[in-house]
Amino acid sequence: MRQARIGVDIGGTFTDLVLLDSDGQVFITKVSSTPAAPEEAVLTGIAKILEQAGLTVSDVTEVLHGTTVGSNTLLQKVGAKTGLITTKGFRDVLEIGRVRTPTMFDLTWSKGEPLVERRYRTEVNERTNAKGEVLVALDPAEIIEIGKYFQAEGIESVAICFLNSYLNPANEQLALDTFAAHFPDIWVTASVSVLPEIKEYERTSTTAVNAYVLPSLRHYLTRLEGGLRDMGLSAPLLVSNSNGGLSGAKVAQDRPVFFISSGRSAGVVGGARLAASVGEPDLVVFDMGGTTASASLVHKGEVTRTSEYEFRSGISTPSRFIKADGYLMRVPTIDVAEVGSGAGSVAWLDPGKLLNAGPQSAGAFPGPACYGQGGDKPTVTDSNVALGFLPSKLAGGTMTLDVQKSRDALERDIATPLGLTIEEAALGVREIVNVNMARAIRAVTVERGVDPRDFTLLAIGGSGPVHACDLAQALGIRRVLFPRAPGVFTAMGMLAGNVERYFLRPLPGLLETTSAQTVADTMADLRAEAIKGLAEEGYAEDAIGFVYEFDLRYRGQDSELQVEISDAADFDPAAIREKFLSVYAATYGYASQDAIEVVNLRLRAMGLSGQNLDFKALKSGQLAAAGAGQETRKIHFSRESGWVETPVVERAALQTAMSGPVVLQSPDTTIIVPPHATAAPDAAGNILVNFD
Amino acid sequence: MNTRKIDPVTFAVIKSGLDTIVDDMAYAVMRTARSSIVRDVLDYSVTMCDARGRILSQAKTVALHLGAVPDAMEVVLDQFADDLVPGDVVVLNDPYEGGMHLPDIFMFKPIFAEGALQGFSIVVAHHTDVGGRVPGSNASDSTEIYQEGVRIAPMKLYEAGKPNKTLLKIIEKNVRLPDLVLGDLEAQYATCNIGEREFLKLADRYGAGPLNDYFDELIDYGEKLTRSAIAGWKDGDYTFEDTIDGDGITFDPIPIKVKITVKGDHLTVDFAGSSPQVRGAINSTLSFVKSATYLSVRCALEADVPNNAGVYRCIDVTAPEGSILNPQMPAAVAARALTGYRVVDTVLGCLAQIAPARIMAAGEGGNTVVAFGGYDAETREPFVLVDMINGAWGGRSNRDGVEGVTNPSQNMSNLPIETLEARYPVMMEEYSLRPDSCGAGKYRGGLGLTRQYRLLAKEAMLQMRADRYETAPYGLFGGQPADTSKNILNPDHAREELPSKLTRQVPAGTVVRHEQAGGGGFGNPLERDVALIARDLRDGKITRRFAEANYQAVFDSSGAFDAAATQEARA
Repeated sequence: MRQARIGVDIGGTFTDLVLLDSDGQVFITKVSSTPAAPEEAVLTGIAKILEQAGLTVSDVTEVLHGTTVGSNTLLQKVGAKTGLITTKGFRDVLEIGRVRTPTMFDLTWSKGEPLVERRYRTEVNERTNAKGEVLVALDPAEIIEIGKYFQAEGIESVAICFLNSYLNPANEQLALDTFAAHFPDIWVTASVSVLPEIKEYERTSTTAVNAYVLPSLRHYLTRLEGGLRDMGLSAPLLVSNSNGGLSGAKVAQDRPVFFISSGRSAGVVGGARLAASVGEPDLVVFDMGGTTASASLVHKGEVTRTSEYEFRSGISTPSRFIKADGYLMRVPTIDVAEVGSGAGSVAWLDPGKLLNAGPQSAGAFPGPACYGQGGDKPTVTDSNVALGFLPSKLAGGTMTLDVQKSRDALERDIATPLGLTIEEAALGVREIVNVNMARAIRAVTVERGVDPRDFTLLAIGGSGPVHACDLAQALGIRRVLFPRAPGVFTAMGMLAGNVERYFLRPLPGLLETTSAQTVADTMADLRAEAIKGLAEEGYAEDAIGFVYEFDLRYRGQDSELQVEISDAADFDPAAIREKFLSVYAATYGYASQDAIEVVNLRLRAMGLSGQNLDFKALKSGQLAAAGAGQETRKIHFSRESGWVETPVVERAALQTAMSGPVVLQSPDTTIIVPPHATAAPDAAGNILVNFD
Repeated sequence: MNTRKIDPVTFAVIKSGLDTIVDDMAYAVMRTARSSIVRDVLDYSVTMCDARGRILSQAKTVALHLGAVPDAMEVVLDQFADDLVPGDVVVLNDPYEGGMHLPDIFMFKPIFAEGALQGFSIVVAHHTDVGGRVPGSNASDSTEIYQEGVRIAPMKLYEAGKPNKTLLKIIEKNVRLPDLVLGDLEAQYATCNIGEREFLKLADRYGAGPLNDYFDELIDYGEKLTRSAIAGWKDGDYTFEDTIDGDGITFDPIPIKVKITVKGDHLTVDFAGSSPQVRGAINSTLSFVKSATYLSVRCALEADVPNNAGVYRCIDVTAPEGSILNPQMPAAVAARALTGYRVVDTVLGCLAQIAPARIMAAGEGGNTVVAFGGYDAETREPFVLVDMINGAWGGRSNRDGVEGVTNPSQNMSNLPIETLEARYPVMMEEYSLRPDSCGAGKYRGGLGLTRQYRLLAKEAMLQMRADRYETAPYGLFGGQPADTSKNILNPDHAREELPSKLTRQVPAGTVVRHEQAGGGGFGNPLERDVALIARDLRDGKITRRFAEANYQAVFDSSGAFDAAATQEARA
């Protein structure tokens, strides 16, 4: 019997769906997003794609989902009315934060409002010291008093975070249990049940974010599950987390802080899977959309992860050096560097006539000047239109672009003031936006001592393929890979992901003196916890993959690097030390012989279902578009090249290698292959561009 | 300038490239440093200079260090002009030869391409301890530079890639925590190398000759934007005065006076009339005064002016020789940061008359340093905790000040409480906002902070450097000054008010509390929006007493704030 799994990714404009059936056929569709009730687009889309595939709801075995509800709740500040309970003397930790500013020399800057107002940040008389000893035991009566106050104030969700609870959760656990027992109508999150790590501000902030977004994500997922049930779809709903893993909807409902970047990370995991299938273990995943572009690394087949990130209301820059002005979360996250440069970024001159592009974006409305919707600012898209990179019709012919409007806007705002031709101005805008986007790529490569020239660039997102080849050349990257349907690649990535859960135990001490027995015991604890956790997701012990990692650093440092070990029998301090030294030298260019400290032991446990998407075996379920015509278009590639008559070929019609320049056209995107490059399709439907 | 061939796009690319390099470098220091003061508090700076020692780009690090780099560069270029080869690294910390105070060790790595010197990658870091009479080497009450630690004249730490073992040994033997100091020097060195590596990529891509043309253009561009901003200011002389509350030896007020002359597109900043140099260790080198002045003026400019040598060209700074702002040997300087903060406050107060929309009322007056040093009772291992408390910003022309924020002359962080407790024999008892510590105003200042410590070790040398005890942070345009600071010993029993600056031995169980000044207010308090008063009352940021005294707030019989009645009372 033919069965199917469906991946759904909600974006700002479109909700993307990909259906993979048991024969390996792929179906793709896009429906308009419904921001007020995002589940509506999901349900509409599922009905539509099932019809396309000729399947019914009973054929669906899994729905995999990336949602922006978590990030939108933070962005729009529409989360729960939230309270905080903390140790006496420390209610302002959340508001004080780490006291830095994201810019300098700007005395007009203001800090963002904390997620919990001071009036709802309460203190209890309790204390655990830095050895994990309880100095002052908690009196549960204090929790009940605070609960009554919260109830009277209409608090909907509560975060609890006590000092040093990461070393001994007793007081915090008692507070949690007491609160939950007495106030069942108020959601409550304790820091130790999110991730028990050192640093009070980071842990408090993580817990507060969890409490703040919990009701909205929970309500959303409940409505979505209800909607699926109503349409007769009884397959499990899995949600993609910020680390690119999947979890049952129940986990997302309890620990939403792990799901704030749900979706985006799935594209990177998809990239890793694709990398394996095409034998390209080192990829830079480059995703360019309307307002932002992001980069992430797949190195030796593995995605790169970070243990902390900050959600900002504006656009985050790739500077990981500044911790300020956002909502900090200490949760495992795929390391994605993002810049405020996208197709809609507006080009402008500063008072010194320096050319800039972004972070201001024309958005979907009024959009670039060429949309003819009243926008008159020149954008990156306008530059692409003026230079012929984009066709005069977009989105499969549904939108006509006005080239003259693009040229007028560029001339007025950029070319005339700088004394350039319109083409020179447009090329300048393209180059600036490429430089900005290259910054994101540099942040995940050069900054780690990784040379991007050893990597292949994977271009995804609606606009990625329009810029990818230029960007690759600027960075010295020799190969660019365009997957099947780059525009919906994120949804495809979900079909490639595993169910994952994360566990951590502090294990402080010097590496040399850490006993094998302690390591074995800690691993056994973590393993037992993981087995229990994944049983909830329906995985038996023999279907679980375990990856253990030590957080290590030189004695005295504060930042750790991770070294993986497969099981307790592998614990060999000398070998681990060697691995650490080599990772350290690769990252920072030197490694000393100083003592190494262990900080934590982490476990990533993966449910292995055996039915992940296999990029090699994909077959398009949809009819290929009509064959190639003999169309050509003039494109102004560079100052040297001037206008070049360039063939335009339907992507699906590309059967053999073809030399650039050439444009490969498909309904979801435009691939630009410049001169001195060759584009070749592979058996699985990817296109690989090599530079001569 | 006209002979340079400048492509506007390449120009933007190189500017962004330089910003990325210093950002990469700043991140590398944070990740590789060993001491809390560098890796948690982030008391370090990173910059790139061209071959002539002109600043090209700065990371978002301690601004107060960066403006002093040009003078330090001058010394390095003077002494080593023809004697630098690839692989060399020069260090210095002597305030009388390019440095600021001994804990700040400057490191310069010359960068060579096409057979010639092209630039320098530079890292300045505050080291936990450089020896001297008090752990942390930061005491206010030293009277000679010789008491303050090991002095390093400009010297090569590496010669053509080979470490100078003699110098390293001298440093190792003269500091309390050699592991941390040498570890942090290693982090500085690694970071200089990262800067060099990235700089060379630029030189490789564009060629050294054209690259230098772009550097000239970049600096001219910074100058052009600065001059056009200054030209928009009203010509004339403007003056302002602020005060430091004693030098740690005596508690006589120490005046800082400034006169700013705006003439066309140029500024002259003259500190004549400021106090003569003092006995205690708060004398500040002229390089540091320049740095404080540059960054203050930079705040009055629009946000997108690049922070390079071009800005400095538009500003002349003078201070009388033998004054606290231009001291002579062997004046002690360890706690000179305080004087830098007060120079910033003084210059900002003056600039408020010139560009009020970009200036705030006075902030907390600079971070408070609290240091505990001693030996662990069991292991006899030395410990030195150097903690810094920051801060509050004053009210602005259209919004309240900020609370829990770095002094704008730096961009430092705070030491996580759990990290502090895990690493030092000290327990933190409170870290909070101080209600009512703000200056009232149409836009109030930020609240100051309270930080309270309990010593767990058997004994320790306690050293504190606070200020704003007597002279409160000023308000602007009718805004009120903020509350002042306090140091308190054992607040819950045998409470003792301590002086602003002190060094003394304390036993186990001692509780030390610092209550920091808040920020001053901006504008008439009686014009403050009643909704903001209500919010502050609800959040416990101000009390009823404060609201009544400053805002003519009216409370009803139940004790609740009555916004309508307040509005009426003020009409």
